[in-house]
Amino acid sequence: MSDESTLAALRLADSALPVGTDSVSYGLEQFVAEDRVEDAEDLRALLETYLRRQLGVADLVALRVAHEGATGGEDGTEDDVDAVVAADRRLSATTLTAEFRESSTRTGERLLSLQRELRDDTVLDEYAAAVEAGDAPGNHAVVLGAVAGRDGVDADEACLVACHGFVTGLLGAAQRLLRLGHTDVQRTVDELRPVMTTAVEDSADRSLDEMEPFAPLVDVASADHERADRRLFVS
Amino acid sequence: MAADAPHPAFEPYAAEPVPQAPVGAPGKEGRLELAFAADEDGQTHLVRDFARVPFHLSGTLGHDPHPDAETVFVQSPSGGVAQGDRHTIDVEVKNGGVAHVTTGSSTKVLTMERNYAAADVSLSVGSGSHLDYVPEPVIVNPDARYYQELRLDVAPDATAVVGDVVVPGRLARGERFDFERYVSRLACHSDGDLLFEDATHLTPADGDPTAPGVMGEYSVYGTLFVVAPERDGDALSDAIHDRVTERTEAGESNARAAATTLPNDAGVVVRALGHRAEDVTGLLHAAWDEARSELLDVGAPDGRKL
Repeated sequence: MSDESTLAALRLADSALPVGTDSVSYGLEQFVAEDRVEDAEDLRALLETYLRRQLGVADLVALRVAHEGATGGEDGTEDDVDAVVAADRRLSATTLTAEFRESSTRTGERLLSLQRELRDDTVLDEYAAAVEAGDAPGNHAVVLGAVAGRDGVDADEACLVACHGFVTGLLGAAQRLLRLGHTDVQRTVDELRPVMTTAVEDSADRSLDEMEPFAPLVDVASADHERADRRLFVS
Repeated sequence: MAADAPHPAFEPYAAEPVPQAPVGAPGKEGRLELAFAADEDGQTHLVRDFARVPFHLSGTLGHDPHPDAETVFVQSPSGGVAQGDRHTIDVEVKNGGVAHVTTGSSTKVLTMERNYAAADVSLSVGSGSHLDYVPEPVIVNPDARYYQELRLDVAPDATAVVGDVVVPGRLARGERFDFERYVSRLACHSDGDLLFEDATHLTPADGDPTAPGVMGEYSVYGTLFVVAPERDGDALSDAIHDRVTERTEAGESNARAAATTLPNDAGVVVRALGHRAEDVTGLLHAAWDEARSELLDVGAPDGRKL
């Protein structure tokens, strides 16, 4: 990867990227409300489940397909927006909780429009047209795969950006929900490093047919969160 | 052989020969075909049925509170699903029929040393029809390897309720997640489009099923899909959610369940987790009863097997 692409990856992984990740908690708020997550150790264990059971086996698989579609295959084939759209629709079909789909498409659409403000890109324009027409949901992982690919970030790196962004986003939410020191937050990101790299490796062996997210207690918490009385986060 | 594996994780198992009755021997390839259709008076009949060992049918039952519905209890004279077993089930409902298919007792997936067992289920619900496919739980014994695939095809104006409950061993004997691999996959299509898909993949040696957010302190896991593409999914989801949470909130159940809308406006999914099979089936039965009341204006058949 070029220095330019490394900088692009760092920008996409920055928690200051204004795509609304600070408004989503993917069920974490409910886990805290139920006292299932009370400290940094509980948080690390739950984030490990998200990485192993959701990102590595679903989101990152779709991200890779979108990345390949947006950049053309290794054999130099042309870019293929239909592949990006197919990955996007498939990810929505496997995401069975309403709040997860809503959070993913909300942040995805913001990232897509932000990127299109920065520069003209025919692939992203074509994909955005499909999202606007309702033919593609605009999931965050898929948008990130396409955007990163167009910026020269390779697929593994884009997956790592997705993992890092997800973990730091949820840690940011956790800081508003729990008493959590800055060192605890940094320690958690640091300790999750091997889990993130394993999730990225797991996703490399899977096709869209083999996406199998499985975290039923997260699903139940997310469904309960839909009806929670007082909420800071949309998920 | 390996090429026949239904899932990449099952390829090594597929290559293992079965020492006793081989794959495909009599009794190993169970087959069940059921077709239901409503007559001109709207009464549903079982219009075609075929059962090959170990499946057994003993006619239909007038068991359903819905006046036009038909019920089939599928029985099995065998002690359970053994290594090398391949079961195929096809159920079709058409012409506005209302059908309910269930099993007479739990499906026991027996301990295995080689190969694996698999069930392939295809459910098709035609225009204006309704299917309830709510079998008793699958109990997965130590060292078992089980693969279950369910394809559901629902016409846009049809409805279906599909249940799936897995019990990770004979809990009263202290077994819990002692099996080798359990995979259950479901894909639902309508008019050729994928509406949603779901997969349960449990390999206790590779990933702790009791991890936070996965199953936590619970052992038994169940899902009920309520497929109703033309209905208001949000209203259906809220009605079912209220119903399944009221017993837990009142302290009458130590299982928990919750409802959320499915992708592509397909309907509602209910997830349930509990310590005992009857806690989970109890909550899912309540969800089924609520769904039936919303969709057919009549509740679910009594869950007790006589």
